[in-house]
Amino acid sequence: MNGDKLTRAFDNDWIGPALVSLVAIVVISIFQPSFLSPFNILVLLSAIAVNMLIALGQLVIIAVGQMNLALGSIGGLVAISFAAMMEIWQLPPLLAMCGGLAIGVAAGMASGYVIARTGISAFIITLAGLQIFKGINLGITEAQPFYGVPQSVKDFGNLAMAGPIPWLVLPMIVAGVGMWAIFNRLRIGRYILAIGGNRNAAELSGVNLDTTVIWAHALSGLLAAGAGMMLVARLQIGHPAIGEDWLISSFAAPVIGGAILSGGHVSVGGTFFGVVIIAIITQALVLFAIDPFVVQIVLGAMILWAVGINRLRELRVARAKA
Amino acid sequence: MSAALEVSHASKSFPGVKALDDVSLTLMPGSIHALLGENGAGKSTLIKIITGLHRPDQGEVTLNGQPVRFANPRQAVSAGIGAVHQERNLVSRFSIGENIMLERLGAHALSVIDYGKLHEEAAKWLRLLDLYIDPRRPVSSLSVAQMQLVEIGKALALQTRVLLLDEPTASLTPNETQVLFGILRRLRDDGVAIVFVSHKLEEVFGLCDTVTVLRDGRNACAAMPLKELARTDVVKMMIGREERIAKRAPRPRATTAPYLQLKNVGTAAGHRDISLSIRPGEIIGLYGLVGAGRSELAKAILGQVRRTAGEMLVNGKPVAIASPADALHRHGIGYVSEDRKQEGLILLHTVLGNAGITVWRSLANALGFLRDRSVIDRTAPVLQQLEVKTPSVYQTIGNLSGGNQQKVSVAKWIAAGVKLLIIDEPTVGIDIKTKAYLHDLIHELAERGTAILLITSDMPEMVDVADHILVMSGFTIKGEVENDRNYERVSQAIMSFIHSSAAA
Amino acid sequence: MSIETSTPAVPEAAGGTSQFQKILFSNEFGLVVLIALAFTAFASALPGFSAPFSLFAIGRQIGIDTMIGLAMMAVIVTGGLDLSVGAIGVSAAMVFGWLCERLGLPLSVSIPGAILFGALLGAINGYAVVRSGVHSFIITLASMSIFFGVMIFLTKAEAFRGLPPEVAALGRLKLGGKVSALLAISVAVCVALSVFYRYTTLGRRVLAAGANPRAAEVSGVRTGWMFIACHALTGALAALAGLMVTARTGAAVPSMAGQLGQDWLLPAFLAPVLGGTLLSGGRVAVFGTLLGAAFVNVITAGLLQLRIGEFWIQACLGLMLLAAVLADRGRHVILRRRGLV
Repeated sequence: MNGDKLTRAFDNDWIGPALVSLVAIVVISIFQPSFLSPFNILVLLSAIAVNMLIALGQLVIIAVGQMNLALGSIGGLVAISFAAMMEIWQLPPLLAMCGGLAIGVAAGMASGYVIARTGISAFIITLAGLQIFKGINLGITEAQPFYGVPQSVKDFGNLAMAGPIPWLVLPMIVAGVGMWAIFNRLRIGRYILAIGGNRNAAELSGVNLDTTVIWAHALSGLLAAGAGMMLVARLQIGHPAIGEDWLISSFAAPVIGGAILSGGHVSVGGTFFGVVIIAIITQALVLFAIDPFVVQIVLGAMILWAVGINRLRELRVARAKA
Repeated sequence: MSAALEVSHASKSFPGVKALDDVSLTLMPGSIHALLGENGAGKSTLIKIITGLHRPDQGEVTLNGQPVRFANPRQAVSAGIGAVHQERNLVSRFSIGENIMLERLGAHALSVIDYGKLHEEAAKWLRLLDLYIDPRRPVSSLSVAQMQLVEIGKALALQTRVLLLDEPTASLTPNETQVLFGILRRLRDDGVAIVFVSHKLEEVFGLCDTVTVLRDGRNACAAMPLKELARTDVVKMMIGREERIAKRAPRPRATTAPYLQLKNVGTAAGHRDISLSIRPGEIIGLYGLVGAGRSELAKAILGQVRRTAGEMLVNGKPVAIASPADALHRHGIGYVSEDRKQEGLILLHTVLGNAGITVWRSLANALGFLRDRSVIDRTAPVLQQLEVKTPSVYQTIGNLSGGNQQKVSVAKWIAAGVKLLIIDEPTVGIDIKTKAYLHDLIHELAERGTAILLITSDMPEMVDVADHILVMSGFTIKGEVENDRNYERVSQAIMSFIHSSAAA
Repeated sequence: MSIETSTPAVPEAAGGTSQFQKILFSNEFGLVVLIALAFTAFASALPGFSAPFSLFAIGRQIGIDTMIGLAMMAVIVTGGLDLSVGAIGVSAAMVFGWLCERLGLPLSVSIPGAILFGALLGAINGYAVVRSGVHSFIITLASMSIFFGVMIFLTKAEAFRGLPPEVAALGRLKLGGKVSALLAISVAVCVALSVFYRYTTLGRRVLAAGANPRAAEVSGVRTGWMFIACHALTGALAALAGLMVTARTGAAVPSMAGQLGQDWLLPAFLAPVLGGTLLSGGRVAVFGTLLGAAFVNVITAGLLQLRIGEFWIQACLGLMLLAAVLADRGRHVILRRRGLV
């Protein structure tokens, strides 16, 4: 029974990635002590904070068994809208933030509505959405960033709360805890996972498929909006290219964290450590002066690795049952 | 006292076939009502209408005297009709308790779930079924029988006044079955109206008080009290004829060398010690209930399930078949799938596209080019011989009737000239006329020298067609029965093999 | 378990009239009408629209987009998709540049070499998908970044600008004084693919495997190899598209398909989907892809010449994709009700 408990502990989604993160941190700081400098930790945590929201935005859609290709472009659209509202309409940051979140939710709900009502694959609908939102973004900005970001916002995105911990981790903690609660304690999260796990069973049990899918996409849009605005704070400008490179990492982190792409099984903790691993590796490559494009290769390889492992785990479970 | 549920004069058609024709079912509160019928009789269509999956073309459904029209299963459930279906409908990564209480997780989207209370309530239902397992365990860790019990618990937890159970004891032991029956009797005494669908007549006679029998889409009887009927009466209503007298003379046992031999074969699916041999021109029947492992054995012969022990010989030489392509192109073995729509045919493509799929490789020229003309030349004669009714070979096969679709799924193997044809449940959901036709066809193929392995759970079909019958249960062969076409004797012999293994 | 709508028994569809109706309702015919309408509308509003150079440029871009669309179509047929078409296209183009400039090889070697390289990358994708059993979406998501990353790493993000003059000449070539050579190449490939899917056993087997892999496998089709072959074909066509872009710009530029090659994703899906290739696999519309690319480019060129911001056009393309799939959905419902599908 004890051995069984040990194996079951490792069956957890977040232990593996957590260990890998730990090992990576230790190994890298041996070779490059500056890795653990307060400045570097600040940079690292800021990257983790933003990427966590991006990963969670995709995670909620993976949970329902779909994919959201428009995540980045929703984030980008909200980012420039956020900056525009403050620069052009002179809105106070908090109000602009609410506006930004609202846009994100609206964009997500629109996608979700079309997917739910037409039954057309989420891939195509969100691909169309990606173009549409990107197009609106470019149409508004004409590829020019908005520079008029208020100082308070810039500070939020760059200053530390305490020691090496940036203010940016606050939204990350809110989002992380919130999504954990949703997936594990709230009816809407359980319904989302039920649809991803066994759509028929969910429907027969009274789950309203359409409403739940729309909720999932609304949450995704909300998180994308949050990440977009955090990036505006961090980069200190409202740049129209925000969101363009979110696609790979938005899938990589959840997959490394044990998410099953067909839906029904996600791990917020695992995703967190997936984000950490990606951030660490990206940082390390910069520190070791390795070509930044190697990041892409490594990310791709990590996705394959993680997917392969998840698949083996799934097969092991199926075989054990037979 | 008014009926709890009433289906009146319901008719339902699908492209090519009339599944239900003026069918009625009257369910009184406080009764256990058996719904019987052979495969293809219309039972599952009727069940789908009751549970809200289909709507009848004609006729109506009333619940407690009020007419109802369900747009989807969810509405049927909210109206108070609980159901345990044949296929599993559980979310495997959720806990048992959460699956049982899935309908009632919370009042609104953002309600926080009290898992303590949830699992406590679920445990109550599990205890009722004598299932003493921790409701917090994930459903994926359960055995098939346990999963079936959990689904029953889920239906019970809904506390509906109408309960429909479709083959609920398929995976249960006799003990578990008795516990379930105890609960159902208690519910009946409480006034719940129960519909019990099962192939096992002993269970029906032991538990139910009323019976409705369907045959060929119509009522053979409606709401008759069971105590006035004997088993033979019920069987006669189900198959529409006396227990059959032999129509075909038994065929002499072939004496040529076997085409296919299995010697002590074990597979990754769980088969143990399977030995059989099929001679050219011989029809070997493989009888068994759902879950016996017959289709999996066919898949093992085709190379889709891995062989772990024993050997397989074709024409006396040991072979290792790696895939169905191997089986077909190298050894002339074909397989008519039991799942016609998902595995037997490509519904999206044309009749020609389906009939010719097995012969493309052999008809192409050196460069791999192939014109429709060559395919038509090879397949049209077969389609004609089988009397496939289609306006043209370019008709999308999804538009043909079930019987004609089945003919095409057999035609493609005949066109390929297979030496051994494995036929899996060929006449499920097929009309009577085509059924008889296919039986004649199987005989004719055998007469022409094809070796045939017939897998079916349709007893009259087995006795009518097979020369020699193997009885399979629990992934092993339990016994052999020589077929002299004496239905009484042969069916008794087969069932005794099946039941002795159940008692074991 | 699908919720079936109540339909009466459908009699076998009659011969003549339904055939005509089928054509009328077909994707291809609808597109031809739309292209004609759009073209006439733009030509009357803009004097320069039907000028020879404008037509040439539009035609050339149609050729390129068609090739990109054909690349994706080849894998959609299997019921999967390939996000790495852009990455493969760029990589193959860079290999071409390397073969020409660094190794000094003649075009007769470097062109087939680049195409084979693309096929190889595609085959790797196919093998990974078949072996792992994982959906092609995630495999090609990973391979897109791996291929692109390796390419950028090896080329140091530098373009090959010293290509043989024939390359740029091909991009400028006007057949019969009017039609772009690149468009002609795409049309030729369309013809070849049509023949492939209809008249070769490999093509038929591919369609069977894509429509219903289980049924095809049981019927003796080696579905695994079919899928690998399809991915390889996708890679080869993507490589060809990359070469065509190189011909148009006169140089092999690593950014030709955007970051990770994702700029190609929209045209890659838009053309086949507009053209009638089913995303679920098993049915292909080769010339529909050409028409789809034609429609998109006529609209885009027209809007550009009308001075509608290039940026808003992006949004329009997205709306077009949305409209295309919605219309396709609606068309299917109508056709099914009439038993014509």
